Amino acid sequence: MKTIRLGWLAATILCAGLLGATVAEGQQEFPVASRTLKNGMKVLVQTDHSIPNVALYIFYRIGSRNERPGTTGLSHFFEHMMFNGAKKYGPGELDKVMEANGGSNNAYTTRDVTVYQDWFPRSALSLIYDIESDRIRDLSLDPEKVKSEREVVASERRLSVDNENSGVLDEQLWATSFIAHPYQWPVVGWMSDIEHWTMADLKHHFEMGYSPNNATMVVVGDVSAEEIFKLCETYIEPIPTHAPPPPVTTVEPEQVGERRLVVHKPAQLPLLMLGYHVPRTDSPDFYAMNILRTILFQGESSRMYQRLVDKDQIALDVSSGVEPAFDPSMVEVVAQPKQGVDPQLCEKAIYEELERAASTAVSDTELEKAKNIRLVEFYRQMRTINGRANTIGTYEVFFGDYNKLFDAAKNYSAVTKEDVQRAAKTYFGANNRTVATLVPENGEKVKQ
Amino acid sequence: MMRARWNRGILGVGAIAVLLFSGAAVPAQTLHLPPHEKVVFKNGLTVLLLEKRGVPLVNIAAIVKSGAAADPAGQEGLATMTAGLLRKGTKKRSAQQFAADLDYIGGTFEAEAGPDYTSISEEFLTKDLARGLDLFSDALLHPAFSQGETEKLLAQSQDEVKAAKDDPQTVILSYYSGYLYGTHPYGRPAGGDEVSLKQIRHDAVVNFYEMNYAPGNTIVAVAGDFNAAEMKAKLEDVLGAWPTRTVKPFVIPAPSPVKGKKLLLVDKPDASQAYFAIGNVGVASNDPDRVAIHVVNTILGGRFTSDLNEALRVESGYTYGAESFFDQRKMAGPFAIFSFTKNETTTPAIDLALQVLDKLHKNGVTEEQLKSAKSYIKGQFPPNVETSRQLARIIATHDFYGLGDDEVNQLEARLDAVTPEIARQVIQKHFPAENLVFVVIGQASSIGPAVKKYAANEDARPISDPGFWPPPIAVKH
Repeated sequence: MKTIRLGWLAATILCAGLLGATVAEGQQEFPVASRTLKNGMKVLVQTDHSIPNVALYIFYRIGSRNERPGTTGLSHFFEHMMFNGAKKYGPGELDKVMEANGGSNNAYTTRDVTVYQDWFPRSALSLIYDIESDRIRDLSLDPEKVKSEREVVASERRLSVDNENSGVLDEQLWATSFIAHPYQWPVVGWMSDIEHWTMADLKHHFEMGYSPNNATMVVVGDVSAEEIFKLCETYIEPIPTHAPPPPVTTVEPEQVGERRLVVHKPAQLPLLMLGYHVPRTDSPDFYAMNILRTILFQGESSRMYQRLVDKDQIALDVSSGVEPAFDPSMVEVVAQPKQGVDPQLCEKAIYEELERAASTAVSDTELEKAKNIRLVEFYRQMRTINGRANTIGTYEVFFGDYNKLFDAAKNYSAVTKEDVQRAAKTYFGANNRTVATLVPENGEKVKQ
Repeated sequence: MMRARWNRGILGVGAIAVLLFSGAAVPAQTLHLPPHEKVVFKNGLTVLLLEKRGVPLVNIAAIVKSGAAADPAGQEGLATMTAGLLRKGTKKRSAQQFAADLDYIGGTFEAEAGPDYTSISEEFLTKDLARGLDLFSDALLHPAFSQGETEKLLAQSQDEVKAAKDDPQTVILSYYSGYLYGTHPYGRPAGGDEVSLKQIRHDAVVNFYEMNYAPGNTIVAVAGDFNAAEMKAKLEDVLGAWPTRTVKPFVIPAPSPVKGKKLLLVDKPDASQAYFAIGNVGVASNDPDRVAIHVVNTILGGRFTSDLNEALRVESGYTYGAESFFDQRKMAGPFAIFSFTKNETTTPAIDLALQVLDKLHKNGVTEEQLKSAKSYIKGQFPPNVETSRQLARIIATHDFYGLGDDEVNQLEARLDAVTPEIARQVIQKHFPAENLVFVVIGQASSIGPAVKKYAANEDARPISDPGFWPPPIAVKH
C-alpha cells in the first residue's frame, strides 16, 4: 500500500529514462531518424516491429510557466480543450473515432510542457495524423464545451489537491519556495482562476503555444521513418507557423534563508515536505544530483530508508523527486511520519543525513550501487515503445538533443564521490530549503 | 506535476480484466503469446519458462495459491504481512543485507497478497542471474520472520491503513467489498484494518507461511532474456530443493449476490467531493461469458468514450472520470460503477449513472458499438504483452486460474463472435439492474439526506472509525 501518492510519480518515470545505458548499446538498439519540417516542427522516429503498435508523442514547449496571475491553469485547461472538437472531428468525435479504430490517447501538462500521447495499432496511422493535424490547425473553442470542461477541471482539482493531503502541501510548498518565478503557481491552476479565464485567454494561449515550431513529435513503433516523414509532409508541414511564447525572463532570486509553512487540515497523519532549489535540467550537476538522490532515497538500502524507516522507525516512507525543467527548479523530499511522531523529528534525521553526505564522501559500494540502479532503470524505461517515445522526447526537449540520451551512461559513470559530495554541499543546505508541514486537525470541518 | 486527462482505470482494477480477457490481433498480424514451457519439479513446484530476448532483463514471478481470502476472521492482513516479511530477513541475510544485495544489482522485489493468491516477483539484469535467483529463493524458501521485523512491519502497516483513509479513492473498494460480501472471505480487506493488524501475532505469520508456502501450492513463472534449458537447470538447483510439504488447498466458497438495495454512507466531514461505488457480485475468471462481458463493459464503462464517462464527464462535466469494472477472481469477484463529484451534484451524478445502466438493460448495444469496442480491445492489447514482466504474470495467472494460451491466441475470434443478441443475454445475466449495493464516501451533513432515496436499508459509519465494513471484530488469543 502506498501511503502517499506523489504528484511527481509520472515525472519520476520521465527521469528514470534520463539515466544510464552504455553508448554502444544505446546506439545499436535505439537508432533514431530525425527531420525538421519546413514549418519548424522537429520529428523523431524510431522503428520497432516487436508489437504491431505505435506510440506517438507531441511535446509543446508551453506549460504553466508561460501563464500569469489570473490565468493560472490555462495550459492544463487548454490541454483538455484539445480533445473537445476541431473543424473535421467535432466535439466528442476525436475520442470516438480514435477508440473505434483501436487507439487511445492521453495528455499531460507540467510547469514547462504540454504533451499529447496517442497509442494505436499501425492500421490507424493515417487516421491519427488526420486527427492531430485537424486539432493543431483548426481547433474550435465551443463555449458550451468550455463551460462543461471547466467543471471537469474543477473536479480534477478537488480530486488531486483539495481531497489529497500531499496535493495541498505540494502546492503550498511551490508557492512558498518560489516568490518571483512562475513556477510558484500550480499546474492545475488556482480555483478562482479556473472559474474565471475567458475565451480571449484561451485563444491567446493557442496562438502562443501551439505553433509547429514550438513542438517536437516523437513516433516509436511498427513504422518506418520514411512513411512517417511522408505523413508529416501531407498532414503537418502545411500548418502555418506563428510566434512562439515570449521568453520567461524572470529569474528566481537566490534563497538566503529557510522558509517554513504549515497547513492545518483534517488528516489521519501529519506529512512533511521539503523543497531545495536546484539548477535547470540541462545543468552539468544533473547527473551527480541524481546519483546523490539515488544513494539517499532509492530502495530499502538507501540512507534515508535505513535511518528513518528502519532504524529510528519514525517514518513510514521517505522519498525524493524532481521534474525536468527549463528553468532553475526544485527537488522535493517527502516524509510520512508515523503516528504520534513529531514531524520535526523526521526533519532532524533528514538534515543529519544530508549533512553527512555533504561532509563525508559516500562509499565506493554506494556509488557503484547507484550507477547500477540507474542502468537497470534505463532498460526498464526503454523496453516499451511508450517509454522510449517519452524518453527520446524528454531528452530532445529538456537537454536540447535526443542524442544526449546515448551519453547518459558515460555521464553517469563519470560521476565521482567528490561530485556527489559537492552536490550535497551545494544544494542541500539550510538556507536553500523550504519546509512544509501538514498538521492534522481532526473533528468537524472548519468553515472557510 | 502531471495532470493526466483521464486516469485509465481510476481505481487500478480494470487492468486485471484487460490482462486476462483482452485479446489478440489487429488487421494483418495476429498476436500470439510467445512459446513457453511448463514443467513440474519432483517436489511438486510448477515452473513456467518463456524466452523474451532484446532487453537484458529477467523477471521471475511466483504465485502461492493462498491469498487474503485465507486470512482467519479477525486477522485480516495476515497473508499481506507474511508476504511483506519475506524480504525482511532470511536464514542467511538480515533485512538490511537483503536490501543491500538487491539494490546493488538494481533489482526490484515485490510481494503482495491479493484475494486469491500471493504474488512474489523480482526483476534483475541477465548478467546478475545468479545473484537474482539466490535472492529470490532465499526470500521464498528461507524467510526468518524475526519477532522484531514482524512487529516493525505490523506497526508501519497500522499507520498506513489509517493514513489511507485521507484519500477516499484508495479505500472505497475496501468499504464496497465489505458491504457487498459481508462475512464472505472476499469481504475482507486484503491489507487488514486498524483493529485486525493489532491482533496478528508473530506465531500466526509463521503458521500462515507453513500452512501455505509449499512447492505443491506454488507456480513460478520466469520470462526474459535467457536460454530456457539453462534456466530450467538453474531453477532446479535453487528451487528443486524446496522440501515437499502437504498443504490443504484453501477453498473459497461461492458468494451470493445481494438481493434488493442497500446503501452505506461513510462520513468524511472535510470532503468537498463525494465518491461512490454501485454494483453487485460479478463473475468468476473462468466464466464462459467472460469475453462478451468484457466487450459490454468496455461500452458501459471501460474506456474514455464509454457510456458512463460520456454521460458523467463529457456531457455533464460532473466528474473527472466515471468507469465500471469486473474484478475477476477464482470465484465471482465484484462488479462496480465508480465515480466522484462535488457534494452539490452527488445525486444528479448517481441518478445519471443509474440511467446509463438502465439504458443498457433497455436498449442493449448496437452492432456499431460492438464493432468499436472490439477494435478498441484488439488495438490496445499488444502493449499488454510487451515486457517480460507482463508475460511472466500472464502465464502465471493463466495457470493459476486454469486458463490457457487461447485467452490471448483465440481472443480475436472470440471477440468477433460476440453479437448484439449474445450481448443482450450477457447484460441480462451479469449486469445488475434492480439489486444494487451503494457505497458513498462523503460529507454526511450535506449529502446524507439526499442519498437516502436510493435504498430502504441504510447503514452509516464515520471514516475515522477503525476498520471498514462490517465493523472489525475482536479476537481472543
